[in-house]
Amino acid sequence: METLLAILTVFTQPQLLMLVGVGTFAGIYIGAIPGLSVTMAVSILISFTFSWEVLPAISLMVGIYMGGVYGGSRTAILLNIPGAPSAIATAMDGYPMAQKGAAGEAIGVTTVMSFFGGLIGILVLALAAPFVSEFALTFQPRDYMLLAVLGILLVGSLSSGSLVKGIFAGAFGIAIGAVGRDPLTFAERFTFDFKIMEGGISFIAVMIGMFGVSEALQQLQNVNMKSVRQKIDRIVPSFGTIRKYLPLSLQTSSIGVIIGALPGTGGDIAALMAYDHAKRVTKEPDVPFGEGAMEGLVAPETANNAAVGGAFIPMMTLGIPGDAVTAIMIGALFIHGLNPGPMLMIDQPDMFWFIVGALLTANVFMLIFGLTGIRIFTKIVEMPRSIIIPLILLLSIVGAYAVNNSITDVYWMLGFGVFGYFMRHYGYPLGPVILGVILSRLLDDNWRRAIISEREDLGRFFEGIVTSPLSLVLFVSVIMIFVSQTPLWTAMKNRLFGRATT
Amino acid sequence: MDPEFRGDMDHHDGTSDALPGGYVEKRRPGELGFAVFLTVASLGLLYSAYGISGFKALSSPGSIPMATSLVMVISALVVAVRTARLPRVAGETLSKDILPMMVVVFVGFLVLFGVLLKPLGFLPTAALFLIAAFKLLSGKSWAHALTMAFVSLLVIWLVFRILFTVLLPAGIVPEAEFIQIFRNFFSGKG
Repeated sequence: METLLAILTVFTQPQLLMLVGVGTFAGIYIGAIPGLSVTMAVSILISFTFSWEVLPAISLMVGIYMGGVYGGSRTAILLNIPGAPSAIATAMDGYPMAQKGAAGEAIGVTTVMSFFGGLIGILVLALAAPFVSEFALTFQPRDYMLLAVLGILLVGSLSSGSLVKGIFAGAFGIAIGAVGRDPLTFAERFTFDFKIMEGGISFIAVMIGMFGVSEALQQLQNVNMKSVRQKIDRIVPSFGTIRKYLPLSLQTSSIGVIIGALPGTGGDIAALMAYDHAKRVTKEPDVPFGEGAMEGLVAPETANNAAVGGAFIPMMTLGIPGDAVTAIMIGALFIHGLNPGPMLMIDQPDMFWFIVGALLTANVFMLIFGLTGIRIFTKIVEMPRSIIIPLILLLSIVGAYAVNNSITDVYWMLGFGVFGYFMRHYGYPLGPVILGVILSRLLDDNWRRAIISEREDLGRFFEGIVTSPLSLVLFVSVIMIFVSQTPLWTAMKNRLFGRATT
Repeated sequence: MDPEFRGDMDHHDGTSDALPGGYVEKRRPGELGFAVFLTVASLGLLYSAYGISGFKALSSPGSIPMATSLVMVISALVVAVRTARLPRVAGETLSKDILPMMVVVFVGFLVLFGVLLKPLGFLPTAALFLIAAFKLLSGKSWAHALTMAFVSLLVIWLVFRILFTVLLPAGIVPEAEFIQIFRNFFSGKG
């Protein structure tokens, strides 16, 4: 009963309900406007909602997150530009549909299916999180450490081409997180004797720099790009269409939740895997895949929205984010004095259920806004970049300044912005940096706890890993990721699968 | 569409999120230099991390920094070696594709913004920045840039100062008095 009340908190306060709505609405457009991304929006917003109460701040950010994941599909369909990584797969069949003049139908189906996938994701979150957090209480410090390493590695290896660059980015993030005085011994780390660095580097400055400034700087290069106009007709899909794709959407939603729940993998991987699944199970599509098959649209869209609920599971129960956006959400929770992890579920179950409620509400708003207001939508998306880019930069500065009222943070943000700009150009993923910054403290604390409890004995530490099934699985996974990068793996793969794959 | 495709953001109209650019099989201008810079910087960090507590104990404050900076050195070195072996991308130059003048100018704008923010205050600094940026990017008339800057600054100020109650340096503009007038107006006293 209390749980139900906590879920319904959103509805008891009109202000919260409104904020979720505004957030979702803004999220859809942010996700859809080329040049703006959810990651950027949430990282800038953290600093603006800094002085707010917890509940309104979370309401707004949950809305933006949910809306943004969905919004990215719009531009994927209309312009062949995925507004977010999770919409990459959507473009494969969505754009061909739009070219055939069925943009409205494609958007309609996407909206309903996103709602459906989102709903399943949230339900699984609500059912699974309490169990996972109970299970997480049995985790040893070394398990947390291994999970953190695994998360960073997975983001590095799956979100981009080069794992080595991903590893570098992750390690770089951990190093940034370590700057300042060590909380346990008060020793100075990476401060280079600068007084300014003793307090550490504000992770918000890093986030805004990496996802706001570097993105805006990069967009300067395509400032004169014209946006393409598409005609959109009827969008609300017929009941028959929905019913036809229901079985497929159930399967792909499950894929989405599971992939989303793995630390380090988020909506983008989920969508690609679901697309692949749809291709395999659909024996006779009405239209071939890649040329506008409805199945190719339903699968990734259900999966990436289902992954939102999934991604919240490790984030809320273990404090380990699944991707860059959830890493930023964790940062937001930190700032409001919440500490995601198994204790959150025990100390403040209301907070967890409130977030579930907010997600549910955002999902409903997404359906409503998705099926209406299509005319305004096309107008807003056509906003010229010469206006958007300066505004992003201005907001980034205000955001970085606002958290600590310090100019130093603005310069940090600028520095990381320029650095991130080069990283983008040379193919270094930025997600692992943020994950590293967020997880640095957790990694450090748990490593030290683990090794102290084993009396500084590496032998005993490894004995502990080998004798615990959970630690062993995590450890082997970490090793596997490394091995997959060495020539040894390629040789092994060729021997094992050589004949099948040629 | 190739599932491995992660966007080539420089030569098509791509939005990006945390999507890295770059090419898998080729080396962009300056890429090798960047990789070498990262290697050297990581070595510096490793040295600094060693200075925290040396090899005193596995649980010492320096152990994680040392481990991470060692990982950075190794991975940066691997990247540098791999990059050096790749052929260069044909037709790209550092000044055209990686660091165009416009980007340098904007970084300069932002540095200037930071310098002026405290003494001048948020509103004048932001106004200057927006006017300059709009004029430079849109290439339209000064009137256009001025109007756009005024409108967007007004919206931003209303949203962030009033709704989000973000404190910004007032500088030379008597902002507090202005807000008071505003409040009085809305509470019907004005």
